[in-house]
Amino acid sequence: MTSSKRTDACPEDQAPAALQAAAGDSPQASAGHGEGGLRPAARAAGITRRSFALGCTGAAALLALGGAVQAFGSDALVRPPGGQDEGAFIAACIRCDKCIQACPEGAVVPAPLEKGLLNARTPTLDFKLGWCDYCEGSHAGVPQCAALCPTEALRLPSGARPEDVVIGKAYIVREWCLAWRLKNCRICVDACPYDAIELNGDGLPVVLLDKCNGCGLCENLCISMIGTRIVDKATDRAVTVRPTAVVEGLLAREAGVGGRP
Amino acid sequence: MRPRPRIKAKDLRALAIITVVAVIAVAGMFNSALSGAGNLSSFGYGLISAVCPLGAVEAMIAANTVIPRALLSLGVVLLLAVLFGRAFCAWVCPAPLLQRWFPGRRGTKNGSSGQDGPDGEGGQPGPGAPASDSRAYRLMRSVGFDSRYIVLGGALVSTAAFGFPVFCLVCPVGLVFATIFAVFRLFAFGELTVTLLAFPIILVLELVVFRKWCTRICPLGALVSLMAAANRFFRVSWDESKCLEATQGMRCSLCHKACSREKVDPRGKEPAARGPNSCTKCRECTDACPAKAISFPFLSE
Ligand code: SF4
Ligand code: SF4
Ligand code: SF4
Ligand code: SF4
Ligand code: SF4
Repeated sequence: MTSSKRTDACPEDQAPAALQAAAGDSPQASAGHGEGGLRPAARAAGITRRSFALGCTGAAALLALGGAVQAFGSDALVRPPGGQDEGAFIAACIRCDKCIQACPEGAVVPAPLEKGLLNARTPTLDFKLGWCDYCEGSHAGVPQCAALCPTEALRLPSGARPEDVVIGKAYIVREWCLAWRLKNCRICVDACPYDAIELNGDGLPVVLLDKCNGCGLCENLCISMIGTRIVDKATDRAVTVRPTAVVEGLLAREAGVGGRP
Repeated sequence: MRPRPRIKAKDLRALAIITVVAVIAVAGMFNSALSGAGNLSSFGYGLISAVCPLGAVEAMIAANTVIPRALLSLGVVLLLAVLFGRAFCAWVCPAPLLQRWFPGRRGTKNGSSGQDGPDGEGGQPGPGAPASDSRAYRLMRSVGFDSRYIVLGGALVSTAAFGFPVFCLVCPVGLVFATIFAVFRLFAFGELTVTLLAFPIILVLELVVFRKWCTRICPLGALVSLMAAANRFFRVSWDESKCLEATQGMRCSLCHKACSREKVDPRGKEPAARGPNSCTKCRECTDACPAKAISFPFLSE
């Protein structure tokens, strides 16, 4: 191998001059990359100037990454049981896939990059694939996702019951709901294990917010968008579970414009 | 009688890495007794799992609490480092294998020369460095201070400042498994996401653009090296009585040259070499020695 080729492939050689300056070498010492360019601290550590600059570049890149991700923010997502305190969750989740693989219902999925770099690969619930029964059917009510999480990103108080852990809230988009448009659908009403959807005076389904636990069975069974779009312009099923704060925001906005009785 | 051809070290390592990746991928894809095994960031059975040491430290810093299972696993990983040093980086981590496979990379082949110059441009003081023997200096020398530790520091400071495990976002180990599972989910559930394209691109950027990711940048490798300073067992050992330099007065140095990635000197002679805690137990030096003066701790013939 020729040594002339080697230089152009070294990332160290490409470290921007500004960063090398930031790494602290004085102009008169920057002639060579050898020991002549070492500043005292780096010299004591037994590290060359170039290596020092590379390390600082890497460290700076990670600081910038952290700051950028924080500054851009990220979408609120429904989390598996125990991950409802988003700050504590995102602090500890190391994206290990355990909760995703553990869910017997197949409801826990890795969030895609579209939901933000911070959310990418973290667990969220896809109620189209399954719904959360708090593992009552398969593991005597011990949520496997939270039980297996090694970092307590998903963390349940001992003896927690489903009612103590509200995953999110169901929200019905009336324009997309078959019952609201055409009548005669009550699948979600019958399905809800918490009796949180009832028919109003006109026989149309409405969510009782204080009862809904966000289990997702209604969304899982909703037929408004199975196969093809039954309702024009619908981009999702008529009933979907979203984070509690998101649903509260939606309802507040509707109340604001006086949309909903 | 011809000697039996022995399996080359790099093939053995590839086999080990592929096995690890395959087991984790299969466990993750199929409902099995191993359901919930996790990826390499936390692989295990049931409540017992080996959590990535960097992930564990990051999570505890960001969450600002002691996480019992993460701490316990950290202890186990430290124990493994005492036993096997930094072997993870040659025998388990998929990154070095990917670097070998990616096109446009030179000099990764089994101990070939031309990796970089004789000085290795990092991690060691030039001859002009002062022979300081302050305690801090000796400590830094004993862990073989290099750029990776600064990156590790940056990762931890960033994690503390922004409140989430920052390095996990771009960790090549995590990205490898994320890509594998994204491809799986595409076929199993029809999930077509940007992830599928973006993660491999980030991976390639890290490992190909930064050819020296492992030896100069990776903070996980740095943490493992740090722990490997306590490595007491399974060390590569040099038998001076067999070494051609001692017996024949030759200038051989083939073992040190074979360590083209990490630039360790198994003889401990070269002043500019990196410390033994950078050794990944890759076996290249053992294979290179014509006099069999270097003995390898495991998987020898
Ligand atoms: S509690 Fe059980 S069913 Fe619900 S998300 Fe967790 S693993 Fe799945
Ligand atoms: S098991 Fe815990 S750390 Fe692992 S991906 Fe799930 S929430 Fe994150
Ligand atoms: S998510 Fe749907 S099915 Fe589950 S409790 Fe709420 S309304 Fe009922
Ligand atoms: S240095 Fe990092 S990327 Fe390289 S082998 Fe070790 S852990 Fe993997
Ligand atoms: S000293 Fe030998 S075993 Fe260790 S990294 Fe170098 S070549 Fe591999």
